[in-house]
Amino acid sequence: MATHADTLHDQHYHPPGLQHQFEDMGQQQESASIGMWMFLVQEIMFFGGLFTVYLVFRSKYPMAFAAGSNHLDAFWGGLNTLVLIVSSLTMALAVRSAQLGKRNAQVIFIVVTMIFGTVFLGVKAIEYTAKYKEGIVPVAGLNMKTAKTASTYPNARELSTRTGDTQDPRESLNTGVSEADTHETGEHSYYNPTGTFVWTDASLATQAEQGGYLTESEKIGYYSNGELNVNKFRDKVRIFFWIYFVMTGLHALHMIIGLGVMAWLLWKAWMGTYSAQYYSPVEMSGLYWHFVDIVWIFLFPLLYLLGRHFLHGGGH
Amino acid sequence: MQNAEAINVGNIKEEPKVSYLTNGFTIKSWLLTKDHKRIAILYLITVSAFFALGGTYASLIRLELLTPQSDLLQSATYNKTFTQHGIIMVFFFLIPSIPAILGNFLIPIMIGAKDLAFPKINLLSWYFYMAGGGLTLFALLQGGVDTGWTFYTPYSTTFSNSYVMAVGLGIFINGFSSILTGLNFIVTVHTMRAPGMTWFRLPLFVWAHYATSLVMILGTPVIAITILLLALERLAKIGIFDPAIGGDPILFQHLFWFYSHPAVYIMILPGMGVISELISNFSRKKIFGYEFIAFSSIAIAVFGFLVWGHHMFVSGQSIYAGLVFSFLTMVVAIPSAIKVFNWAATLYKGQISYDTPMLYALFFIGLFLIGGLTGLFLGSMGLTVHLTDTYFIVAHFHYVMVGGQVLAYLGGLHYWWSKITGKMYSEFWSKIAAIIIFVGFNLTFFPQFILGYLGMPRRYASYPPEFQVLNIFSTAGASILAIGLIIPLIYLTYSIFFGAKAPANPWLLPGLEWRTSSPPPTENFEETPIVTWEAYEFGEESGLDLEDARNKYKVTV
Repeated sequence: MATHADTLHDQHYHPPGLQHQFEDMGQQQESASIGMWMFLVQEIMFFGGLFTVYLVFRSKYPMAFAAGSNHLDAFWGGLNTLVLIVSSLTMALAVRSAQLGKRNAQVIFIVVTMIFGTVFLGVKAIEYTAKYKEGIVPVAGLNMKTAKTASTYPNARELSTRTGDTQDPRESLNTGVSEADTHETGEHSYYNPTGTFVWTDASLATQAEQGGYLTESEKIGYYSNGELNVNKFRDKVRIFFWIYFVMTGLHALHMIIGLGVMAWLLWKAWMGTYSAQYYSPVEMSGLYWHFVDIVWIFLFPLLYLLGRHFLHGGGH
Repeated sequence: MQNAEAINVGNIKEEPKVSYLTNGFTIKSWLLTKDHKRIAILYLITVSAFFALGGTYASLIRLELLTPQSDLLQSATYNKTFTQHGIIMVFFFLIPSIPAILGNFLIPIMIGAKDLAFPKINLLSWYFYMAGGGLTLFALLQGGVDTGWTFYTPYSTTFSNSYVMAVGLGIFINGFSSILTGLNFIVTVHTMRAPGMTWFRLPLFVWAHYATSLVMILGTPVIAITILLLALERLAKIGIFDPAIGGDPILFQHLFWFYSHPAVYIMILPGMGVISELISNFSRKKIFGYEFIAFSSIAIAVFGFLVWGHHMFVSGQSIYAGLVFSFLTMVVAIPSAIKVFNWAATLYKGQISYDTPMLYALFFIGLFLIGGLTGLFLGSMGLTVHLTDTYFIVAHFHYVMVGGQVLAYLGGLHYWWSKITGKMYSEFWSKIAAIIIFVGFNLTFFPQFILGYLGMPRRYASYPPEFQVLNIFSTAGASILAIGLIIPLIYLTYSIFFGAKAPANPWLLPGLEWRTSSPPPTENFEETPIVTWEAYEFGEESGLDLEDARNKYKVTV
């Protein structure tokens, strides 16, 4: 091995793409591969922390999570799942083309993958915008449209009339409970320290209460003075939406980084850098892309598909 | 038996024309270097600066505690002082100390590689360290942070009016530095070993770093996401950690300690790796139970992930969870004890020489023993209720962190100093310093065991007057310790400029790092070495021409 490397040095010959610290392409390829897998391992641990938080709160407040999840649009989520799965296929084909040394096919597949990635982010943007308009982005000051109505929450209707907003933001949200119901539950007794999250629908909690399957931790979480409190329920839904935004937001950030990697890859592929002998950057970027897809495969059911049966009138 | 080439590797006849230190002198050649040895030097300088800063905070703490009243520092300032001492020492000194300096310098050389697998990522890790450290320094200058290095919620999220976000972001960014270092080490050990360097011929230093790297990769991302959530909680009141709106402050502690307990092993495993090298080489004897020491490192890394709950015995976690965590904590003692027993067995009938690094190694064993055994006190659920949040805990982890990691770091730094700089330090002054450090350390921290047992709580600027005598001992010890730490700074710096030129192998040791010149050339070896000897092989089997080396360097063995 040593003599082999020495011969290479003597002739001043390096295979294209071989870095100085490696003896040969095989070693470099193996290093890149293990390195990428180690990177993905740390990514898993990173998202793992979030999944733990999700797990803790979902087991603590199942009804609030179901309510929040019912409010997400499973159509967009499902479409994005499909988009990402297909993009994984085109990515795999890009890697395959690189391995076969087919420059044009490689460029085309990378472009197609990037288009799918962009579509995903576009759909995400549509969803985020919708949430923003409804006032369920739980960041103080980020709900520009609804911040005023939310801060003077009990008088939301008058205020929205004054600002020329004909639709009460609460009406679009109510899926199961009329406005009268929420007033009955006595919402004003509980002070919401963070203000700006608009949510009045506690129908699922009521349903669970009547059905007798509200858990002990939920009773502690939703009740005030021995009865169901809409605002306390709202805060738990708010936690769901926070987890939704943090998880999908970090995932989207990974998608954006992925698109950046793809753009770089596209440039390199266009220049004809990759061949049957040297294609590991394509393969490693592919691994990253698949990883980001897989994270979404977990996010979609965990965030979008909770308690769908409640939407169709199902019970416990 | 061996081929001629392999034998030749051990006996450097002449200095190479260009070493890694003389390969370029511009600022750019340092700041944009991809040479693992130069990056190690960059780390050495910056980590030492943080060590000095953290030490300054420690001095302030000890000076304040000289008297029972809070007179030198007000309580609020004191809170910031111990917080910043903890944050700097943990995240910016202990975690990067041995891995990023000695590990970075030595791992490629020890396995016979030209460099780490990803030199650019290695440089990037230093820049992450600098960015994280810079941000933290900025926050300290702005007014600092007062939450304790543990950032417990809801104080850190809701009540603290200090620079939690900036420091948190600094630690977040610094985390990438340690992830990238760990990733680099793992890949390097897997793929870059020289021909003949099998897994069980690796020096135990490399095994220890492999285990450390596993912890870095698996643990650090969790603290990253935890700090991110903490920042979001502060910024926008998510409610995840705020009990007022349904959050769970204990969840923060779980997430925090899921990283920070394994991080304790990031802070001790590399030290154990250094000690294995020192004990074997200065006993001139093959290490006893090589495989046991190697796998005990891995075992510590694995079990280390299962014991985080022992930081939360009194946080209101379920008593059954506490029971399991307590049991697993005892289990970690087994691999740690395996190491100590094997070191002791290696010393038995060895040709022990008391060079400075060996002094540090022997001090390490004694202090680690005390630190480790008192850890068992704290791991047992009954006693811990009495000792939680007292100075007993402070003394315990300082025995492991300072008595363990810092002494191992100093021992390692002295041991490889000739290799790193190509110069010899003063044997006389280094021995004096080692002894002063040992005395000063014990005088500082041993009284704290007693203070803690008597019930003096940690993290207060004032204390009842009856504790003053022991506190004066402790402060006096800290002053001695500080002097002990300043002396090496002086004679090591002196040696760079005026020290005697170091031979390639001053102690006639068999490791690969001693078979290249001091300092090594940029490519580490003139030609890729072929390893035909086992680890820690002394005598003829090592392939070293001992007779020739003895005559050349006039070293008596």
